[in-house]
Amino acid sequence: MSRNQTQWTQRPHLPSSHYVDPAIYFDEEIFKEEREKIFSKVWQLAIHESEIPNPNDYRTYQHPAGRELVIVRGEDMKIRSFYNICPHRGNLIAYEPSGNAKRLVCIFHQWAFDTKGDCIDIPRGKEGYQDRLCEDDVGLKEVRTEVAYGGFVWVNVDDNCGPLSDHIGHALDYMLPELESEPLDVFWYYQARLKTNFKLIHDTNSEFYHDYLHYHNRITGMMKPDSGYFQRKYEAFPNGHASVGSMKVDYESYKGGGHSSLGWPELPPMGWKLVDLFPCITFNLRTSVLRIDSYIPVGPNELILEFRALGLKSDTPEIRAQREKDAATIWSPFGRNLHEDLLASSGQGIAMTADSDPMYVLHGREENQTIHDEIGMRHYLEEWSRRMGRSSSDPYARQGTAKSA
Amino acid sequence: MSTNRGSIEELIYDSCLVLDDNDYDGYMALCAPDFTYKLSAYSPEVKREMAWLDHGRSEIEELFKTLPKHNSDRNPLTRNAIVYKVRIDDDHKQADVVTRLQIFKTALNGGHTELFAVGKYLDTVSLKGEQPVLLNRHVKLDTRDLGWGYHVPF
Repeated sequence: MSRNQTQWTQRPHLPSSHYVDPAIYFDEEIFKEEREKIFSKVWQLAIHESEIPNPNDYRTYQHPAGRELVIVRGEDMKIRSFYNICPHRGNLIAYEPSGNAKRLVCIFHQWAFDTKGDCIDIPRGKEGYQDRLCEDDVGLKEVRTEVAYGGFVWVNVDDNCGPLSDHIGHALDYMLPELESEPLDVFWYYQARLKTNFKLIHDTNSEFYHDYLHYHNRITGMMKPDSGYFQRKYEAFPNGHASVGSMKVDYESYKGGGHSSLGWPELPPMGWKLVDLFPCITFNLRTSVLRIDSYIPVGPNELILEFRALGLKSDTPEIRAQREKDAATIWSPFGRNLHEDLLASSGQGIAMTADSDPMYVLHGREENQTIHDEIGMRHYLEEWSRRMGRSSSDPYARQGTAKSA
Repeated sequence: MSTNRGSIEELIYDSCLVLDDNDYDGYMALCAPDFTYKLSAYSPEVKREMAWLDHGRSEIEELFKTLPKHNSDRNPLTRNAIVYKVRIDDDHKQADVVTRLQIFKTALNGGHTELFAVGKYLDTVSLKGEQPVLLNRHVKLDTRDLGWGYHVPF
């Protein structure tokens, strides 16, 4: 039965944790608050250490809190992160996304910094500043950095944050044997700029009911009684993280791409493990490839997705080529599944805007925490609500106003 | 056969026209029995060449057959190619061809056209038969951000 306006905007007859006010996906004020209360506070996966293997290698990183960072491996092999901004006149220091530089030199006035962030040269410093200012006064702003969980480089722009392990807790324990069996190596990095909200992307990674979207997943798992698909279980962890149990994917059922039996150390054959980390990171290990998603929200309805695919550092060229081929089947910009995921998440961004009069969004499936249960999204938004001081189903209640839509 | 640059250029342009029409049988008819297709892009961020499609003839035929079962962006593409170089090797009866490629996407809803991707075709063309056919196609993209992506090969 179709609905009239009153019925359309009515709250669902479900617990408030089981539906979402769509305003959290497009409200500008809420987005600004997310930057302040979430992205400026939590640990974020920035790069993998294999992207800067040598002394003096660097990578730039656009942090979701809005800071431009440069991540550098020092001559002591330690990885440090700094604001990518010259303390003199506020110019970018590193313009290119990667490089190798013993000294980070600002092109503007040639101020130079070493890989520990110390200023080591101010041209004609004494003449201009006399004794009023010297190199010691103008070092780079360092950002908390840790390398962990498979060699990933994590950053936190809050100087007073707790250690990374406090944030992750036990969420990655389930995948640690696979992450730490041997050194990893990034072989793909690419971005996708989309018009949608970052939480909608994370929602898609946090629920598998949408496997109806994927012909590949239906035919290789959902429709296979012995695959263990419907037995996969969610496990929720503190701080908004969740993992999904493994299954046995029957890749041979899919014609048109193929997937090898190459596998991954410690992962059961044809296995598939997934961990979603709050607020915008997913570890997705499928048979022979580890895919990492991380997002850089640039507005309430715009984000840059960063995709990485990783293999093992010990891969021969032949094995690496096979891993790439496996990844390409479903996960490249031409891959069967990723394109479908991004179409759907972008469609949500198009359909749900401040002016489109969207309804409450349902997160209400309960199936004993198995694969089509929507507990992953609910658990995520519980943490979101805690950090924001707003209910995801009634975000304006704090201010005493009605639902936005 | 007598081969001139014109017939090789026509092959390249035909390959664009049939793919623009999603005429996959027409595309395969332009390819040799041992045809290979690769699509890659170089990432300056991680300094790696990324192979996003890498198929032999039978695999790409299967891919074409399977695509209709998927949910895909149906906004059509227009491949604009300009053949820059043709180097004919008479001894091996083949030619290496470098083609500059621009791909536009036109929205089904409203008809707005936007530039989707730029890159090159690096082709090896077999000249052994009556007509030149594609032996190897390597699509080397400059564009790496393809938004939500696309299912049909370029």
